[in-house]
Amino acid sequence: MTDESGAELWKEHQSAFDRVRAVAITVSEPKPADWIAEQAHVAGNTARDHLQRLVEMNVLRTTTGGTATQYEPDPLYTRMQALRDLLDNRTRDDLLELRGDLQEQVEEWQTEYDADSPSDLRKQAAHTDTAETTREMRQTANDWDILAYRLQLVEDAIEHYSDYAGSTPAPA
Amino acid sequence: MFAFDGGYDPGQASHTVLLELRRTIERHPAVQHASGEPPGQFIRVVATLDPAILGSEADEGTLTLRWYAGETADADPEFAFHYSESSNFDCGWHHEPNPHVDGWAHYQERLSAGNEYEYEAVSFDSLQPVPLLWGILDRLETRLTDR
Repeated sequence: MTDESGAELWKEHQSAFDRVRAVAITVSEPKPADWIAEQAHVAGNTARDHLQRLVEMNVLRTTTGGTATQYEPDPLYTRMQALRDLLDNRTRDDLLELRGDLQEQVEEWQTEYDADSPSDLRKQAAHTDTAETTREMRQTANDWDILAYRLQLVEDAIEHYSDYAGSTPAPA
Repeated sequence: MFAFDGGYDPGQASHTVLLELRRTIERHPAVQHASGEPPGQFIRVVATLDPAILGSEADEGTLTLRWYAGETADADPEFAFHYSESSNFDCGWHHEPNPHVDGWAHYQERLSAGNEYEYEAVSFDSLQPVPLLWGILDRLETRLTDR
């Protein structure tokens, strides 16, 4: 099965710029324009134009080394976007409560598996009796990595709440 | 995805993908609403769908997206795009270690909650989250229409 018609569906609902952005913002490693163009189903020159614009907007940054220019998400933009999403419709009190929830969840996993960290839990997952238990533990380790990052964001948002949220009164 | 200190952070990379998947999936005409779940924790995206647009007669459907970018920057991602509906039918496209098929990529479905899953090895054209999402939305529509 190929995903050609998935590409048609995507093209119908998102512009070339949106597609280039969506691919480039989600790469784990820097990628050249031609690779991004192929993934986003746009022509190479179109991708280069949009990538250049995204660099000017500080959404992406370029890396040096190698023959072709490579693009990756700007870490400052990535973090700001995640913070903005977190702060939307949340008061400082909401964030304090969320921090408590996240810490509680991490402590639950630490106790349940007697593990200090996600990587510790992954090591344990390699030595279980059933494939199902291994799968569950690996999945918890993955969730834990995401939650740990989330907790960092919440800490940041609490610490700088007045700077990030401005002086507008908190919603009732 | 590089953290501020220049190191790779799997939590950050995965979270960034989940945010983008939520943003993108809302562009699909069958999607009524998408949110990060559990509330505040955001370790997956849950989208509420109108099954009729995908060719199903069920009243309600949801698509749950999990994404883990991998322990290292060059590792393959682990993910699941799993659909379930009020008729109790559910199915999903997963990419993760499993005892059912050779390799990670598989499709699984069951006709009702009481049934065992049936598994089938599949392949994906792309392991990039957003192109993959659209490919899977298209496969889902095909599956629901042909049922």
